[in-house]
Amino acid sequence: MGSEGTSTRNLKGLLLIGPPLAVMVCLLLYPAGVSIVQTLQETAADGSVSWSLARYHRFFTDPYSVANYVRTVWTTVVTLILLIAICLPIAIYLHFTRSRMAAVVQALALFPMFVPGIIVAYALIRYIGPNGLLQSLLEVVGFNSYSSPYLTPWGPVIGLVWDHMPLTLLILTAGMAKVSQEAIEAARDVGAGYVVIFHRIILPLMVDSLLVVMALNVISLFGSFVIPYMLGPASPEMMGPYMLRTFSEVRQPDFAAAQAVITFLTCSVFGILYVVMLTRKQDV
Amino acid sequence: MKRREFLASAAAAAAIALSPRLAFGADGAVEVIVGSDQNVADFWSNVVVPALQQELPDLVVNVTVSDGNSGMMALADRALAALKTKSDPQVDVMEAFNPRNTIGAIDAGLWLDFSKASMSNYAKLNKLAIDTNFGLPYRGSQVVLAYDSNKVQTPPKTWAELTAWIKATPGQFIYNRPDKGGSGGNFVRRAIHEANGRDPSAFTAANFSKEKADAMLPPAWEILKDLAPSLYQSGSYTAGNTPSLQLLVSGVVSMVPTWSDQALSGLKSGELPSHIKLAQLQDLAFVGGFAYCTIPTNATNIEAATKLANVLISPAVQEQIVDQIAGFPSIEWSYLSDEIRTANADIIPKSIPAFPDGEWEAAVNDGWYRNVAPAIARN
Repeated sequence: MGSEGTSTRNLKGLLLIGPPLAVMVCLLLYPAGVSIVQTLQETAADGSVSWSLARYHRFFTDPYSVANYVRTVWTTVVTLILLIAICLPIAIYLHFTRSRMAAVVQALALFPMFVPGIIVAYALIRYIGPNGLLQSLLEVVGFNSYSSPYLTPWGPVIGLVWDHMPLTLLILTAGMAKVSQEAIEAARDVGAGYVVIFHRIILPLMVDSLLVVMALNVISLFGSFVIPYMLGPASPEMMGPYMLRTFSEVRQPDFAAAQAVITFLTCSVFGILYVVMLTRKQDV
Repeated sequence: MKRREFLASAAAAAAIALSPRLAFGADGAVEVIVGSDQNVADFWSNVVVPALQQELPDLVVNVTVSDGNSGMMALADRALAALKTKSDPQVDVMEAFNPRNTIGAIDAGLWLDFSKASMSNYAKLNKLAIDTNFGLPYRGSQVVLAYDSNKVQTPPKTWAELTAWIKATPGQFIYNRPDKGGSGGNFVRRAIHEANGRDPSAFTAANFSKEKADAMLPPAWEILKDLAPSLYQSGSYTAGNTPSLQLLVSGVVSMVPTWSDQALSGLKSGELPSHIKLAQLQDLAFVGGFAYCTIPTNATNIEAATKLANVLISPAVQEQIVDQIAGFPSIEWSYLSDEIRTANADIIPKSIPAFPDGEWEAAVNDGWYRNVAPAIARN
């Protein structure tokens, strides 16, 4: 054995990660890098290239673009808060219950994972839309002042909560595994109420999971496309539809790339957070 | 090793089996490349080709669906290159392709001049449909108004009547964002025409300039901003042709702009209930367009291809276009049966205005989002 064995093993390890790394570099890092650099370059009529922040300056001085950015941040934050508010109680319930009911709840909560976004969008138009099923049901029980969220900022929020529930719930139920029944019972024995148990035992153990939920959801919500496109208002629009429109409909690929870089930088903050979380876990 | 050998020989066998298909165009079959969807290709295989085979029973026609307009552009480029090197373009008929799309092809003599091809049915063509002699119009569609006849007794006949109706019945009209579908897009273009003296010829593919757009488009944004508070939800816009029809069918709004072929096929299949009726503006219609066929002059089977083109615009096939794919005929409606004419009396166009793609389209899409869409006073 000795050093020769180790180096062979190292080589084998490198060979194993080689192909995915090559794919990452060729298909992701290199083209992304090129387009980031291009957003900082300006080609003059005579072909000379100069460095410029003009596209970013344009983005942040254009009230329309800023409104779209703010709308995206708003939608992401509101959706994230709702997701945690809905999924955390379900995760706690699933952890402490072993009934058939719990299995049904879990199956229902994971169901959206198997439904494509475009189908969710059309189904939600029919359900929460004007004269839709929800409105009819409410009218049966005498509630007549329903105002549909379809085509308002709340349309995408509802659709995105639906779409992101399974992932959130999976992470949170996995995190709940750390909360032991014994710890809860011990706390109860010394007279702790539900609020104290949640605040002093469950929450500290769940911080990591909540941060992972936040990081993964923010990345996915911020760049979401189909649901805000179908359910949201024409203006302000989220970054996903705005980027595509600027690229293909307004035919300004350079400005679309600048929008993409801004989106990417915003998301990368949470990406870094996620990577830090992962590496910190390995250190333990 | 056995397995590897087997795989290698199987791959070779598959390659041999596939190779004759790569050499198409050489065996005397007429090659039709369809630029539209599969439903149109089926229409060619089931209606157009059998109609010609009655006359030429031995004729073989291959109908192939291309990869959208970019695929058609590549084919046209190849045909143009083949013209220069005097080789086989490997295509005889191109469906849904505008001959103007390939720059220099018309001047180079790539496309057959249909007006000089001695086709017996050419004189029957509707003059409104002919854009150039090098593209044969064969089916059209146009944006029309779809309305709920239970709520609207007399549909508006002019733009002024339409806007007056929208303002008088707030919340009952919606159109989609102009880049998300032609029905809303061409409603916006109608407002642009209205703001510029109802003269569609003021907009051509070649006359775009930023100064011109800055002068000609803002008056249309004013018209549309003025309408916004009277639209559904005081200024909401759907994300496509289908969501608009969804709101009409569910009784939320009473009128929407829609594509004629989409509405007609919906009415036929029952997706749109029979109280939905269609109407067209009479002062200046909404924008519409025709699908053109082209034939390269260097096509191997140019004679059979020309016969196919002639059958395509025969009254029998044109009636099937109305009946089966809900398109407009490209020949005069008077050549069609009385039955079909009366069934479509409301939407027979008196004119089919056009609006250029390219830079004008981009300016419209950007301008509408920046000027019209944000002007929403939500309560």
